[in-house]
Amino acid sequence: MLESPSQPSDGDLLRLTSAGDEKAFLDFYRRHQGAVFRFALQMSGKAEIAEEVTQDVFMVVMSAPKQFDPRRGSAGAYLYGIARNLVLRCLEREKPYLTVLDDPDNEYSGRLAGEQDIAGEFVQTERIETLRKAVLALPPGYREVVVLCDLHELDYAEAAGVLGCAIGTIRSRLHRARALLMEKLRAVERCAV
Amino acid sequence: MNEHEQQQLMDGLRALAALEPLQASPRVEQTLRATFRARAERRRRTIWASTAAGFLAAAAAIAVLFFAPVPWHRNTQAQQAASERPAPGASVPAAQYAVVRTDELASSFYPLPEADDLPPVETTLVVRVQLPVSSLQLMGFSMGEDAGAEPVQAEVLLGQDGLARGVRLIQ
Repeated sequence: MLESPSQPSDGDLLRLTSAGDEKAFLDFYRRHQGAVFRFALQMSGKAEIAEEVTQDVFMVVMSAPKQFDPRRGSAGAYLYGIARNLVLRCLEREKPYLTVLDDPDNEYSGRLAGEQDIAGEFVQTERIETLRKAVLALPPGYREVVVLCDLHELDYAEAAGVLGCAIGTIRSRLHRARALLMEKLRAVERCAV
Repeated sequence: MNEHEQQQLMDGLRALAALEPLQASPRVEQTLRATFRARAERRRRTIWASTAAGFLAAAAAIAVLFFAPVPWHRNTQAQQAASERPAPGASVPAAQYAVVRTDELASSFYPLPEADDLPPVETTLVVRVQLPVSSLQLMGFSMGEDAGAEPVQAEVLLGQDGLARGVRLIQ
C-alpha cells in the first residue's frame, strides 16, 4: 500500500472522491483493494466473505471519504480497521457454518494448492497449507495480529492503531499467537509421523 | 519454542505472505463503480433541487417585498398613482419621487379640498414633484408676485388608494 512520490497521495484521492471524482475513487480502490482482500481472506478463509468485506470497506470509503484523517495513520491502517470490523461481523454471522479447517472446497486453499502445484513444490505447498489452516484456527484476537504483523508486515505501532490497543498488547498477543501456531504445527507433524 | 522452530515458523509465514497477490474479482469494482455513479447522479439532482428551491424562495421573498401592502412602494407605482389624480389644474411632471415612512409624516401637509370625501389614510406615500406656480395658486396657496414662472418643488401625500390627500412646499 505504498504511494510513489509521483502519484497523488491517499488523502488527495479521497479529497477528490468526496468531490465526486470517480477516477480518483477507482485509483484509490485499485491501490488498496488487494491488501484489503487478502486481509479479509486470510482472516476468514472464504473468498466470498473476502469479496463482500472488500466491497463493503470501499462502500464505507465512498460514503464518507472525509472520515480518513492522514494525521491519525495511513490509509492502509484505516482500511484494515474497517475491514477487521467487517470480517469479525461476518465471522460472527457465519459462525455456525464455518468449517475452515476441513473444508475441501475452501477457495483460498484451492488457489494456493493450484499455484504451488504448478511449481511442483508439493512438500512446501503442504507445509504452507498446514500453516495457513493453523492461522485460520487461531482465535480471532490472535489471528488478526499474525495476519497484520507477519503476513502484511505492519509494525507494532500500526497494528496497534488498527486494532485500537496498546503496542504491548500487540507484542504479547503476537508472541502467544506464534506459540499457538507452533503447537498446532507440532501436532500435525506428530500425526504425520 | 526454540530458535530453530521459530525460524521455521517465520519462514513459513513469509512464504505464506509471499504468495502471488490475490485480488478481489472485477465484479467488486464494477459494483463499486455503478454505486459511485448512482450516488453522483443523486448528488447532482440534490444540488439542482436545492438551487432551484433557493431561487424560488428568493423570488417569493422579492415578490412579497414588492407587492405586500406596506408603507413602502416602488417609484413606478407612486408615479402611476400620482398621475391618476393630479392636483386641479396642475400638470404633474413627477420629476422626483420620495419614499417616506408613514410615521415620519407630520401634519405639515396642506390638505386638499377634494380629499375630504376620500376614505381615511392607512398607508401613505410621499411623491416629490415640480409644480407650476399657477397650480399652487389654484390649490389655495398665496404666491407672491415675485414667485416667477419657475416650477416649484413640492411633495404630494398619497393614500393607500394612490389618491392625493395633501401637498407641501419644499422650495
